[in-house]
Amino acid sequence: METFWETFKRHGVNRRDFLKFATTITGIMGLSPSMIPEVVRALETKPRVPVIWIHGLECTCCSESFIRSATPLASDVVLTMISLEYDDTLSAAAGEDLEKHRKEIIKKYWGNYILAVEGNPPLGEDGMYCIVNGEPFLKHLKESAEGAKAVIAWGSCASWGCVQAAKPNPTTAVPIDKVIKDKPIIKVPGCPPIAEVMTGVIMHLVLFDSIPPLDSQGRPKQFYGNRIHDTCYRRAFFNAGQFVERFDDEGAKKGWCLYKVGCRGPTTYNSCGNIRWYNGLSYPIQAGHGCIGCSEDNFWDNGPFYQRLTTIPVPSVEANADKVGVAVAAAAAAGAVAHGVISKLRSKPNKKGGE
Amino acid sequence: MARVVVDPVTRIEGHLRIELIVDEKSGKVVDAVSCGTMWRGIELILKGRDPRDAWAFAQRICGVCTSIHALASVRAVEDALEIKIPKNANYIRNIMYGSLQVHDHVVHFYHLHALDWVSPVEALKADPVQTAVLQNQLLEKYGAIADLMPDPIGRRAYPKKFPKATPGYFRAFQEKIKKVVESGQLGIFAAHWWDHPDYKLLPPEVHLMAVAHYLNMLDVQRELFIPQVVFGGKNPHPHYIVGGMMCSISLNDMNAPINAERLAVVEDAIYTQAEAVNLFYLVDLLAIGHIYVQKGQTYGGGLAKKRVMGYGEFPDEPYSGIKNGDYHKQVLYHSNGVVEDFAEGIEKAKYYPLMGKDFADPGVIQEYVAHSWYKYPDESKGLHPWDGITEPNYTGPKEGTKTHWKYLDEKGKYSWIKSPRWKGKPCEVGPLARYIVVYTGVKQGHIKPSWMDEMIVRQIDTVSKVLELPPHVWLPTTVGRTAARGLEAQVGVAANLYFMKKLYDNIKAGDTSVANTERWEPSTWPKEAKGIGITEAPRGALGHWVIIKDGKIANYQCVVPTTWNGGARDPMGGQGAFEECMKDTPLKVVNKPLEVLRGIHSFDPCLACSTHLYDTEGKEILEIRVQGSQPLCY
Repeated sequence: METFWETFKRHGVNRRDFLKFATTITGIMGLSPSMIPEVVRALETKPRVPVIWIHGLECTCCSESFIRSATPLASDVVLTMISLEYDDTLSAAAGEDLEKHRKEIIKKYWGNYILAVEGNPPLGEDGMYCIVNGEPFLKHLKESAEGAKAVIAWGSCASWGCVQAAKPNPTTAVPIDKVIKDKPIIKVPGCPPIAEVMTGVIMHLVLFDSIPPLDSQGRPKQFYGNRIHDTCYRRAFFNAGQFVERFDDEGAKKGWCLYKVGCRGPTTYNSCGNIRWYNGLSYPIQAGHGCIGCSEDNFWDNGPFYQRLTTIPVPSVEANADKVGVAVAAAAAAGAVAHGVISKLRSKPNKKGGE
Repeated sequence: MARVVVDPVTRIEGHLRIELIVDEKSGKVVDAVSCGTMWRGIELILKGRDPRDAWAFAQRICGVCTSIHALASVRAVEDALEIKIPKNANYIRNIMYGSLQVHDHVVHFYHLHALDWVSPVEALKADPVQTAVLQNQLLEKYGAIADLMPDPIGRRAYPKKFPKATPGYFRAFQEKIKKVVESGQLGIFAAHWWDHPDYKLLPPEVHLMAVAHYLNMLDVQRELFIPQVVFGGKNPHPHYIVGGMMCSISLNDMNAPINAERLAVVEDAIYTQAEAVNLFYLVDLLAIGHIYVQKGQTYGGGLAKKRVMGYGEFPDEPYSGIKNGDYHKQVLYHSNGVVEDFAEGIEKAKYYPLMGKDFADPGVIQEYVAHSWYKYPDESKGLHPWDGITEPNYTGPKEGTKTHWKYLDEKGKYSWIKSPRWKGKPCEVGPLARYIVVYTGVKQGHIKPSWMDEMIVRQIDTVSKVLELPPHVWLPTTVGRTAARGLEAQVGVAANLYFMKKLYDNIKAGDTSVANTERWEPSTWPKEAKGIGITEAPRGALGHWVIIKDGKIANYQCVVPTTWNGGARDPMGGQGAFEECMKDTPLKVVNKPLEVLRGIHSFDPCLACSTHLYDTEGKEILEIRVQGSQPLCY
């Protein structure tokens, strides 16, 4: 396998453009400029990593999101950064030939390829609610994970279970960490995850040959370290007690806080508030809809979506500035504590998942 | 007889298995079974939920045709609760829908379908200088197709995205492909049947041009969805609300979700859509399709020749309901109808309108499960979606074990897809079906054509002139199915420009309302209500049927396009469109059924499906696992 620098040279990219690329990538990954030399070194020495990307019970929104990435563009990721050797959505080949190819890649790059999983396995009916090549997806998943260096759990399906695992979970769909226990798993939740978060995770893995720093729930800290509420451009209106009371009211036209119409920003960890979607173009709150918490475990059963969260104290308009400040601090603390508790609860085996 | 298995079929949404019974001597596909291999039970999950949340759940049925299930869902709930949305919300939803049509069709053509027609291996043989010459010739030859698209806004000074016709451009892509092949890490191009004779139908320069545009459009496609990101906050899976849209409009506040700046972002994206469709997609499509038709590839029509169906789209103005018939008084795209026997000529084709009340009639649309892994009390009968039952009943294959199939049981149950029927009969749905309905409806004088219907008729007549064939010959084919999709993308752009103009005019007239919240609170709802939400998904007619009781969802059933096209056979023996298409497709190389893959892909399948072809006589037949091509693709 050749390194990125070799690939770039082969394409006639000069050293200066190569360094420029390294600088851009460093920025995208949220790393400080002091890391640029390390990124350059990584690009010079790391070969293209083979990736096997498989699909379980899902809707393919993760793949669709992935190809929306602007920096880097999906074409650059797929053709020069990784070698996407198996993917239900993009692979030209089909059938036994592709399956044979998958097995060959597993053998050839044993311990060196990345497994990306979109969707999740159902355990009900011996796994036959999701079938690949006449066999349960569950088998396909375990087989593909065995020789992987690391596993990426794309989206809320692979990370938490998502919509098919919502009550009553008719197929007993489970997140992949319920069935893969012996591999590092990077959870990249969201329905779907933000495109640049997906490509950012791949960049980290490929460039540093290491798992990005993860939080206690297995999510990359750089992308899931902040609550949307804390990075939201409408936060000032929350602090000031200015709320949308009803869709399309005066507050809605002024872009006030959506907390009272159900926004899950205060309990949702994701990058929607800072990097936003489409390279900063928008995110649901900017379009006037509350966050539905799609990157959080079990968010489908935390509804109804338009019912306000009752645990977050709301500053009142009558309060003076000092009182508002205190209330906000208390709200943030309450949110953090609540989240910690919820996290602990969720790290236990998922009963609903049928285990 | 040979039995050919392809599993998984890729470049679709989900998983697909196909098994073919082929006469090895003639290459004729004797029979085919299409069978879905994935079930998530979203309809069961929706029971007991708040109907205002249903759009978000339903939207997760599909992330490729993202937003369409959300649209069908809010329409169904609004129909049940008798909510009329504001004008602006109608225009915005139409622009979001039109953008989906454009994006979905472009991505399907280039990224899911193109490699059935063109090959990167053949592209290596092309001369970049000649490819540049060819690009210019094709723009001259087919470029006039762009003139069919009306532009009521007319603000684009000149195209910002234009196909590059320089040797350097094509050389860059050729070099890229060459290096990928030489590196041995073929990635997405690995292990395909690049040695199939059909890849020799086109000159190498067409291959290089199309492969270059495959990559070029991979970079551009994201921009086509910008309208959904602005109005819906993200993509995939933008947001909607029951009663309209949440993206309030204010020309007084930069914090408003929609203001002049945001509208400019949308308008720019619509012009990008126009350029991608008119200058890339349609020119490439006509260039490739024309040659395939000239080489005699006018097969693969299957069920399209016999019966097609559509539901109608693009309500010009807000309507009071769907089941009361008002929706169909407003639609501009009069694809709501059934047409039989189109292949016999426009005079002989039979046209049946489909209106609001038909969707509520228990005898018109029904789903059967005789051959699907579900249970009904009486499986010889179909059930209307309002009475629909979704109870899984997996029975395993005919041969093999429960978790390791050899052959599926086509005489018993063999699929996770139900079998929807119109008056007991199977119908093909999708862009081709819609085009046949509109064309027949207009030519036979059944519908008073809107500007959109007229545009569609003009498109069909223009392509007929290019191909020198009448529509009943070239439309119901695999090429025709792919062509109709491209032409429909152009209609999508035209609709976006049209509704953008209406949105501007309405805001200018002082109306900024986007949501009707009079019936937002469940306390304002009737104790029991039934609704229908219909739309034309990129892949075909889509309907959601909802029953609301005491403020909660009591039943929810979705009848989706790939259920119509890819569903199992019915108890009367009728087969769906996938199976009929495969039976109408001859193979050149039995163990490399590229033609069948192309036929299946021409439907743009959007489910994890399993397709199985079998010997109707039940004879012992030779099994052929589709095996690898050349060592080039390891």
